[in-house]
Amino acid sequence: MNENLFSSFITPTMMGLPIVILIIMFPTLLFPTPTRLINNRLVSAQQWLAQLILKQMMMMHSPKGRTWALMLISLIMFIGSTNLLGLLPHSFTPTTQLSMNLGMAIPLWAGAVITGFRYKTKASLAHFLPQGTPVPLIPMLVIIETISLFIQPMALAVRLTANITAGHLLMHLIGSAALALISISPTTALITFIILILLTILEFAVALIQAYVFTLLVSLYLHDNT
Amino acid sequence: MPQLDTSTWLVTIIAMILTLFILIQLKFHKYSYPLSPAPKTFKSTSFPTPWETKWTKFYSPLLLPQQ
Repeated sequence: MNENLFSSFITPTMMGLPIVILIIMFPTLLFPTPTRLINNRLVSAQQWLAQLILKQMMMMHSPKGRTWALMLISLIMFIGSTNLLGLLPHSFTPTTQLSMNLGMAIPLWAGAVITGFRYKTKASLAHFLPQGTPVPLIPMLVIIETISLFIQPMALAVRLTANITAGHLLMHLIGSAALALISISPTTALITFIILILLTILEFAVALIQAYVFTLLVSLYLHDNT
Repeated sequence: MPQLDTSTWLVTIIAMILTLFILIQLKFHKYSYPLSPAPKTFKSTSFPTPWETKWTKFYSPLLLPQQ
């Protein structure tokens, strides 16, 4: 049972060829490059969406932080489209792979922190000690703040992995339960099927929300450091 | 748990770096948001030289009435 349940999370290779590369690159095909002054509906809609997201996200940043605009909009579109494509049956979701999420979280977090250290060294170091702490507590608090700083990229990666993996696992389990219940008691199967539909709607929301949360947190770390 | 099988990690990370940092950004950096067209104010950028602010006749030998 364990083998079957987790089999959708195995990195796909076909006869030794890592087709995971093609799967990760697939969402880029869904974003056509605008070539005209007035584009077709798909491209215009995507441009509108990108502008909406950019205005919302980049408003709180200084001009230095706004240089990250391309990175952040790419991040949120990439994670959002990858998560949504993963909701299709029998598809592989790259964001369930801890490797990919760590590969996204660590460089982005490290970039934000190193930018902070380079340009605002005193302010970045000051983050390690909140204002107004009693003197005896200072050593312990510095240790706690250091740990909470270094756990940020891990939390980013594991949060995304765990949320998407858990959602997919739950859908798999409830779906196979509904299938098995059809022959035993159709009413229960119907109830389970309705639960599955509600869960799918939740998963749509989770797919988008997780992309948003990831990007928002990176944006927040950036704001702290610019 | 298959996610912890580190043999595939390198391929996944390299593919992700390629996609996220190159391919997707190439798509998004082409997005342009031009301002709505508005009429331009007609302001001259060339300033009249001091000797042109006042009209003066200037005399050059070839411009004098020929005798």
